[in-house]
Amino acid sequence: MGQAWIDGMPAALPTAVAAAARLLDASRQPVIAGLGTDVAGARAAIALAQRIGAAVDHMNADALLRDLDVMRESGAMLTTPHETQLRADTLLLVGSGLIDAWSELPQHLFGATGAPDGRGRRERLIFWLCPGRDGGAAGKAAIIGHEAGELPELLAALRARVNGRPVGKIGVSAPELDELAGALKAARFGVAVWSAAELDALAIEMLCGIVNDLNATTRFSGLPLAPGDNAVGVQQVCGWMMGFAVRSGLGRTYPVHDPWQYRAARLVDSGEADCVLWISAYRVATPQWHGDPPIIALAPADTKFPTSPRIHIAVGCPGRDHECVEYCAMIGTLASVAATHRSKALSVADAIASIAAQLSTEPLSC
Amino acid sequence: MLTRIEGGRVIDPANDRDEIGDIWMGDGRIVEAPLDARADATYNAVGKIVMAGAIDIHSHIAGWSVNTARLLLPEFRLGSAVRPGTTPASSAGWPAFEIGCLYAAMGFTTVVEPAVSPHYALHAHLELADIPIIDKATLAVLGNDDFLLSLMRAKESAAAVRDYVAWTLAATRSLGIKVINAGGAAAFKENIREFSLDDVVPSYDVSSREIVKTLQRAVTDLGVPHPLHVHCNNLGIAGSADTALATIAAADGLPLHLAHLQFYGYGKEGERGFSSAAAHLAEAVNAAKSVTIDVGQVMFGQTVTVSLDVLRQFKARNQARPRKWAILDGDANGAGIVPYNYRSADFYNAVQWAVGMELFLLIDDPWRVFFTTDHPNGAPFTAYPEILALLMSRDLRAQWIATLPAAAIAVTTLPSINREYSLVEIATMTRAAPARLLGLWDRGHLGAGAVADVAVYENAPDRAKMFRSAALVFKHGALVVRDGMPTQRGFGRALAIEPGRDRAIDRRMKAYYDSRYGLSDDLIKVPDHAIGGPEPFELVPCAR
Repeated sequence: MGQAWIDGMPAALPTAVAAAARLLDASRQPVIAGLGTDVAGARAAIALAQRIGAAVDHMNADALLRDLDVMRESGAMLTTPHETQLRADTLLLVGSGLIDAWSELPQHLFGATGAPDGRGRRERLIFWLCPGRDGGAAGKAAIIGHEAGELPELLAALRARVNGRPVGKIGVSAPELDELAGALKAARFGVAVWSAAELDALAIEMLCGIVNDLNATTRFSGLPLAPGDNAVGVQQVCGWMMGFAVRSGLGRTYPVHDPWQYRAARLVDSGEADCVLWISAYRVATPQWHGDPPIIALAPADTKFPTSPRIHIAVGCPGRDHECVEYCAMIGTLASVAATHRSKALSVADAIASIAAQLSTEPLSC
Repeated sequence: MLTRIEGGRVIDPANDRDEIGDIWMGDGRIVEAPLDARADATYNAVGKIVMAGAIDIHSHIAGWSVNTARLLLPEFRLGSAVRPGTTPASSAGWPAFEIGCLYAAMGFTTVVEPAVSPHYALHAHLELADIPIIDKATLAVLGNDDFLLSLMRAKESAAAVRDYVAWTLAATRSLGIKVINAGGAAAFKENIREFSLDDVVPSYDVSSREIVKTLQRAVTDLGVPHPLHVHCNNLGIAGSADTALATIAAADGLPLHLAHLQFYGYGKEGERGFSSAAAHLAEAVNAAKSVTIDVGQVMFGQTVTVSLDVLRQFKARNQARPRKWAILDGDANGAGIVPYNYRSADFYNAVQWAVGMELFLLIDDPWRVFFTTDHPNGAPFTAYPEILALLMSRDLRAQWIATLPAAAIAVTTLPSINREYSLVEIATMTRAAPARLLGLWDRGHLGAGAVADVAVYENAPDRAKMFRSAALVFKHGALVVRDGMPTQRGFGRALAIEPGRDRAIDRRMKAYYDSRYGLSDDLIKVPDHAIGGPEPFELVPCAR
């Protein structure tokens, strides 16, 4: 299997690397998008962005920024999967997409819980609001509401009842709602679980508000499930390298964060972007936009693009083909992961280093 | 290659030196003057002040909390280029790259990130690795973790605790151990809202005091040079001085470091029930020779508080300015990020500022009081030059005091204090003493054999200007700053310590992680290759 292609034709790797560097050199508004890569790949990508003045986006930025927007508009109480598994006596699962985000959720969270120190076991109360298509996986969870459309009203009513305020008639019966509010208030350590991939920011904000309100008398926290493709890991690298979240631009030599302006799909579809470095090392994923600027793709060899990228350099999967540092959902932070099937496939960091070495522009000093 | 810094006033308290003279550097170290006195490069320091590179023992510069503060507060840097250090931008937690440049510009060459929750150690070290010029180190936080509390509940031996502490230091590549509101984060998860030194952690039946004493003994017995670094209970509340006094008494003559004591310098006197207790605290510190403290000075302006003291931060979240925050109930430790604006017109904030000043000025031994703002909690580290100027000038303090609420100053002793720090005392507090406290025998001084980290300042009457912008800074003998601007941006290393341990603990920890978390303990370790670069760590020797 080849390592590199130019316009769909197999090419020698050094030729493809040189062609990629020429494209980036000539670009006036490059975009680094996808960014499905490990920490080393993200560090290399952002360093490259600083050098060429690129915008930086991640393919799961919508979900990432929805959670972040709630925190940076109002506040959020958060916990880890471990604490949830070990300590939560009450779970409030919210919306659909939870199983997509964490396929092992039932296995980790539906079992009995113990005392904080792991001694003793007791059943936990589990509620699932509007599970939608996840309903089949709900197991012993008590389902309240079904479809996503019911959720905003249900969360608003629940928050009112948690705070002892009256509510009008909604899809869920008053006794059922009161029973739920009462159970949440009776929790010793409850956790709300959601996936921002399928909740809007207002629903997340309402949910975080419920969690905060419950802490007036008991302990409750929140567990947003991380989007895939190492989105949280990449977000953290953006934070310490640029001082900002994804969807930031380095075109002015200093970082500017603007989630509207620096959304890769907008930059491409508006014609502002004239070159894209697309990175997806964890899986086959292709850009979801309509414009067609030249693309340099760092992606698995078997990626089939709707139209061939100008340059495609095959990269290995972090944690499979090479060791890596990536966000580990269970411990809720970055971890060092060994290669399960070590191979000679290029890492994203190596591929970017090769391209960067061919650029005519000098590295920026700061 | 021999380099000479010629003709400056060399202030080197560790070697009892304060004289006009030369400093010679070769191969990254300070060397004796060669007999032929021939240098390959000479820097003129005539009329200037020459000190060792400064060392910051307590500054939150990396890790999940710091990075979350950046993500929480994009407006602090909205669309901004590099901005002056006194703007709000400087407090949000600069990107890693700028942290190194800004510290170096002030003549700092080693900085300790003091609050790394073990599971987040790799993240913290990755951030530190992206901070240029300076060397770094971390303190690992224990005292709310199930493993330690379970060991204590089971009344296991001191040796078992020692091995666990040593294992933690090795796994997290840390230079020392910190305890933050010992047991408080674990208690908060069980809905405890008030937690003091003799309160007991539910489920484990151990008191906060017992946790502090257990860790103090383990750290001391292991020969870790840096004493147990304690963030006491009850931070920030009126009457917190009682907790600090009780903790100082609990040192029992063994080494103990109390962090950001300013935040515990509050009594309950006066009309508002909030007053300075700094004089009492200083008296207690002066008498307890085994105790060291750092101040955590407050300066006025916008900042963001980041702390693993989740109980405290949870309670503070409604005072957030701007009104947003993040609170984490993490594995073992918690965390809280709460933006805050210290206002000079605010009674409480003015008292806080004065308490910090009083502690600096009333603790008489500059070897035992350390220079910090608890960055960014009291103020961003970029405020250091202004604080140094205040310590060195009674007149400047009087000017500040005149602008503050008189009612606030009235509950402090600050106006009556005449002391002014000398340059020798500044050099002791920011160079010689931190090196000794951390066990860095080859830093913080300018004797032969020391790492050639050197700062040269103009001897300007405006001390803030002098310390903000060093004339020359050398890191490992290489010029890295000229006139406050970075000239070269290499990357330093992280300093770590690895006391010996019974390897049985390694098997035990593997089994513990497997049974409690269903995961490999390798996931929380920090291997060299994960950081990258040649030799990302430098091992510091134990005291024995």
